[in-house]
Order: sequence, then structure tokens, then C-alpha cells
Amino acid sequence: MSEALLDIAGLRVTFAGGTAAVRGTAIAVNRGETHCLVGESGCGKSVSALAVMNLLARGASRSADRLRFAGEDLLSLSDTGMARLRGNRMAMIFQEPMTSLNPAYTVGSQMTEVHRRHKGSSRQVATDRAAEMLARVGITAPGMRLGQFPHQLSGGLRQRVMIAMALMCDPELLIADEPTTALDVTVQAQILRLLAGLQRDLGLAVLLITHDLGIVARVADRVSVMYAGEVVESARTNDLFARPQHPYTRGLLDCVPVPGKIRPGEPLGSIPGVVPRVRAGFQGCGFRDRCAFAMPECAAEVPRHAAGEAHDYLCRLAADWSGLRGAA
Amino acid sequence: MSATPAIEVKSARRTFRTSGGLFGTAREVVAVDDVSLAVPAGSVLGIVGESGCGKSTLARLILGLLPTTAGEVLVDGQRLDGMDRRFRAELIQPVFQDPFASLNPRRRIGDIVALPLVAQGKFAGAEIGRKVAEMLERVGLASDMAGRLPAELSGGQRQRVAIARALILRPRIVVCDEPTSALDVSVQAQILNLLAELRREFNLTYLFISHNLAVVEHVATEVAVMYLGRIVEQAPTAELFHAPRHPYTRALLASVLTPEPGLGVPDVGLGDILPDPANIPPGCRFHPRCPVAIERCGSVAPPLLAAAHSRVECHLAVAGAA
Ligand SMILES: Nc1ncnc2c1ncn2[C@@H]1O[C@H](COP(=O)(O)OP(=O)(O)OP(=O)(O)O)[C@@H](O)[C@H]1O
Ligand SMILES: Nc1ncnc2c1ncn2[C@@H]1O[C@H](COP(=O)(O)OP(=O)(O)OP(=O)(O)O)[C@@H](O)[C@H]1O
Ligand code: SF4
Ligand code: SF4
Ligand SMILES: [Mg+2]
Ligand SMILES: [Mg+2]
Repeated sequence: MSEALLDIAGLRVTFAGGTAAVRGTAIAVNRGETHCLVGESGCGKSVSALAVMNLLARGASRSADRLRFAGEDLLSLSDTGMARLRGNRMAMIFQEPMTSLNPAYTVGSQMTEVHRRHKGSSRQVATDRAAEMLARVGITAPGMRLGQFPHQLSGGLRQRVMIAMALMCDPELLIADEPTTALDVTVQAQILRLLAGLQRDLGLAVLLITHDLGIVARVADRVSVMYAGEVVESARTNDLFARPQHPYTRGLLDCVPVPGKIRPGEPLGSIPGVVPRVRAGFQGCGFRDRCAFAMPECAAEVPRHAAGEAHDYLCRLAADWSGLRGAA
Repeated sequence: MSATPAIEVKSARRTFRTSGGLFGTAREVVAVDDVSLAVPAGSVLGIVGESGCGKSTLARLILGLLPTTAGEVLVDGQRLDGMDRRFRAELIQPVFQDPFASLNPRRRIGDIVALPLVAQGKFAGAEIGRKVAEMLERVGLASDMAGRLPAELSGGQRQRVAIARALILRPRIVVCDEPTSALDVSVQAQILNLLAELRREFNLTYLFISHNLAVVEHVATEVAVMYLGRIVEQAPTAELFHAPRHPYTRALLASVLTPEPGLGVPDVGLGDILPDPANIPPGCRFHPRCPVAIERCGSVAPPLLAAAHSRVECHLAVAGAA
């Protein structure tokens, strides 16, 4: 594949209060591929996604070395140009459905509006399409649901409405921010299979933000791990799980609880400490307050190392610093 | 057991009427259908089940935020309606599923977390400030978060604000609806460890709704599985996870995605046609999707098979067998 469908490099977002939420993120998503973005709560995943969609809150400033979608430069695109792409060729599923569903309008009017605006379709065509999409995300009695208001739906129904709405116009890129947190595991599996089908049939590219490392393992082609506003490790999925390099990635993978292997009464594993406050001008490794391997030099700029093909990480330690796990 | 349960639900039912939308006919959704349960003080009842099966509705019935259509709910042996608000706030607190919708967007985080204390009217300003700072720290939020508005936080940070607000009064019962769904595994562990600590220290009772089965296995002492408004199976946690009896419970457990690359997403054979809560199938409500259904399942509702600590509704379940 020559050029990635979504190509982000050096993305930075700073908020009015001085918080540097995203500090030089680079992510590329190819057609037909799922790229998962994981990382500690508050590390800048949603802000990165909102920055791509140009939907940041007022008072936020965005810059990037490169921000391209399907060969088009999003940085120089006008607001109307962006509005033409958003919800159409690139769609987003937001982390909290109630932030983007309007409580005053029915599900049906919100879903059909997108299609009519972008595709110029009639009310009837758009309604049929909406009912079809609701059915595809596993919602029965779509007719009833189209006539309901968001507060009349359960959390998982709202989340599926968001997914259906994002897929209304057959986007080329889907940015999905924690799209299945309100779904039970059987419905979640159904949604993940639906997305896989769209990737196979239509070449849909997915940037999937999730805390669920089970989902990551099962659906991702590539994984990027963020910490304190930076991508600290990026690799193909198998590689990341087999040979995690960054101390944060290793810590994170060690915390995953697996059902059936839980010891009740014992505390769950976690990484001690909290994310530092990162303001503009912050220097050095963002993980150093919590890292067991921190050295004074970690407070200066740390290098990005390669750990094999298409695998890199941001840390002073050389690759495979404590031996290959599971290689013995 | 003679002690008063912390939560007792007796044959609770809740329906919603909904306008027919494009079909034009009004329909009735049965969100909670004849649910009975008792949660002993100091225990944790985990509730799992299909999206839309009535978990949040049940939580709202228990919290007294929604009246039952039929049946009764008792919290610490009392009805919540008519109870003094301040007393009630110290008895039972909610953590809602959608943190953004449950936090006042115009109030600062510090004020949101302080509000339950302020409403009690018996704490001095300095004490409130100290308690809020301590609580924010315990849920892993930096002190500068106190001055921010909800919109200025990440999803997981907002969720932790909702938890801090629920715990600040040290209520005896906490109803948690997906309390850690927006947290990474490490922060989630911190929060769950905090909940466990508080429970040990103060003998708290939790009702814990979650789609994350590993989390439920860890925190719950007992687990109830809901399907289309009913509890179809309930058992002590270890028993439910190691010897599930209801086919729906088995399908849930088989659908869990363990972090093993290359295995893909399993298809457990439930089909893609989900149930319609406004049109509940006759017989066993799970029969159109049940991979092991027998003929009787389509017409005869399975009987409740109850033992001291477990129960199941399925024609194939055998009394006494686990
Ligand atoms: N409008 C805002 N003003 C100031 N700070 C903000 C604003 N929005 C987000 N932030 C901060 O930016 C950082 C990154 O937030 P973001 O929402 O991207 O986190 P996240 O990685 O998506 O976390 P989560 O997993 O909890 O959703 C957080 O520390 C958050 O507090
Ligand atoms: N105010 C309401 N008006 C109409 N229907 C409602 C209302 N509240 C809930 N319902 C319906 O009741 C059913 C159960 O909803 P509930 O929110 O209890 O599900 P849930 O088990 O919490 O699901 P999820 O896991 O998706 O959050 C759904 O079909 C929902 O649409
Ligand atoms: S750069 Fe230093 S502090 Fe950061 S992860 Fe590597 S060893 Fe730890
Ligand atoms: S009663 Fe029949 S349909 Fe229902 S769960 Fe049991 S076997 Fe399946
Ligand atoms: Mg987020
Ligand atoms: Mg719910």
C-alpha cells in the first residue's frame, strides 16, 4: 500500500489552561486495516481523534507536521470542506453517546439528517437506510427505535445508534472511540464482525480507541500505545503482545484480568502512581515518575528505538532489554 | 438468614409505553419482568446480561428514581419514597452508566464532588475541602482537576468524578452501573481495589452492573444473569463462572475476548437477530436463539429451579446439578 488513508505526524494539541494533551503523535491507518490506540485514561486518545476530525473544544490549539486523509491535506482544508468529509467519507463514534446525540430529536431524525445532507437522499430513502443500519447493529424493531428519543434507549442501544449513524454514508475511515463499552460480549462480537465485514468488502479503515486489550488482540492489525500525550510504542499486534518493549506497555499488559483466572479477594494488579501533569514545554519521558527503570537521563529527550520491522518505541532502554518473554 | 438484606426486590416489574414511531402503533416495552432478589449487607451482587435487558432500569427502581409498575423494592428494609433525602443520601448512592450526562456541565469538579457533603449541612467548609481533595486523590485524579469543568476531562476522568461523588458520603450501599467501562486496566484496578478496601473497612454493599465479566468475577460475591427483563440464572460467583447452567450464561462466557492475538472473534451461534422487548417470545424467552432448545421451549415457560444460593430458569437444568 503506497499512502496510508489517514496519515498523522507530529500532531500537537494544547488547551487554553496550558495542558499539553497531545505531544507529537504519529499514526497511520491503511485501507482495510484496523489500527488500535490504547493507553492510560487521560493520555490523549480522544483528543487526538477529535483533532483529526477538527472537533476540538474552543480554546484548544492544534498543529501537526502532517495530517492527510486520502491524499488530501486536512490542515489546509476549509471548514466547509471538512464538514463535507465529516460524517460522510470519515465518520466518528464518540466515547460518550450523550455528548453527540441531541436529546431533543428522535433517533430517526438524527440518523436520516446525515444521509440526506451528504447523499442528497429523500426522506424515504434515508429512513430505509437508517432502519437497515439499525438492524445491522443488532437492533430489533428498528421502526420503534427510530421514533424514540435518546433517553428512552439503554446505554448499549444508544451506543449502537451511534455506530449505525457513523456507518450511514459508507465511510472510508471510521474513528471509533470506545465503541463497545456499553455492549455485552455477545453483541460486541456481532459489532466487531460487522466492522470486519465492511473492511473486507469495502476496504473500510478503522482507528479504534479501546481499553479492552482482548479486543485489541482479536481485531487489530496494528497497535499504538499512548502515554501522557505521546505514542510510546507502535507495532503489529502479534509483535506487541509477544515482545512489548516500553515499560508502560509491559506494565499495562501485566494488568489485564482474564475471566476464569481471577483470584477473588486479591487486589488486581495496577501500575502504581498517576500520570504527571504535562504542560507545554514538558521535557523527557512522561512515564519516568512511575517507571522502575527510570534514570536521571530519562528527564532529557529520550530516543525512539526500532525493535524489529514496523515496531518502534520511545525509551532510553535498548530493545529486548530484559530478554524475550516467552521466547525461552 | 434473618438479618435484613441491604437490598430486597420483590416481584418487581417495570414497563414503558412508547409511541410507535414510524409504525404508528404504541407499544409496551417490558424492561423488568418479575424480578426478585435479595442482597445481604456487606456483599456484592454482580449483574450481567444483554444490552437492553433491563439492568439500568432495575438499578433505577432500586434507587427509587423510577416507580415500579408492580412489586416492591426495600432498601435496608424500608421503602425509599418518603424517606428523608439527607438520610437516604447516606444510605444509598448511584454511579450512573453515562458519566457525562450525570455531571452538571456548569459546575466545577470540586463542587460536584463536594455537593453531597454540602447538602448534608453538617460539615464545615474546611472539612469538606479536605475530604474532597482526599477523595479525588483516591480515585487517581490530580488536585488541579478540582477547578475544571466536566467537558475539560477525559471520559475516564469523568467516570472517576462520578465514583468520587458517590463514595464521598461513605454510603452503606452503592449502586454502580458500568462504573469502570471508560478506564484502562490499570486505573480500573485502582478503582476496584478502592471499592474492595471500602467494603472491607465499612461493610458496604454493592450492586455492580458490568459487561466486563473479568471485573464481575473479581468484585462480585454473587452474580445474576439477566435476559430480556428476567433473571435467568443466579449463583455464587465461582459457581457461575466455573459451572454455568443457563445456555445464555454459557454463551456470554464463551464470547469473552481474551488477550490472545490471532484467535479472532468467536461466533457462539446465537444468531444476529436480537430479541424485541416489546414482543417477548412465548415459552422460554431465549428459545429463538438458544443453541440447545428443545421443542417444549417454544411454548412452555421453563420453571424456576431454586436452591439455597442459586437459581436457574431452563428446561434442561437439573435440580441439584451444578
Ligand atoms: N477541553 C479541555 N480542556 C482542558 N483539558 C482537556 C480538555 N479536554 C481534555 N483535556 C485533557 O486532555 C487530556 C487528554 O484527554 P483525552 O480525552 O484525550 O484522554 P483519553 O486518552 O481519551 O482518556 P480516556 O481513556 O479517559 O477517555 C486529559 O488529561 C484531559 O483532562
Ligand atoms: N424512559 C424510557 N422510555 C422508554 N423505554 C425505556 C426507557 N428506559 C428504558 N427503556 C427501555 O427499557 C429496556 C431496558 O433498558 P435498560 O436501560 O434498563 O437496559 P440495560 O440492561 O441497562 O442495557 P445496557 O446494557 O445497554 O445499558 C430497553 O429496551 C429500553 O429501550
Ligand atoms: S525512558 Fe526511562 S523512565 Fe521512560 S520508560 Fe524508558 S526507562 Fe522508563
Ligand atoms: S429453556 Fe430451552 S430455550 Fe430456554 S434456555 Fe433452556 S434449553 Fe434454551
Ligand atoms: Mg477518551
Ligand atoms: Mg444500562
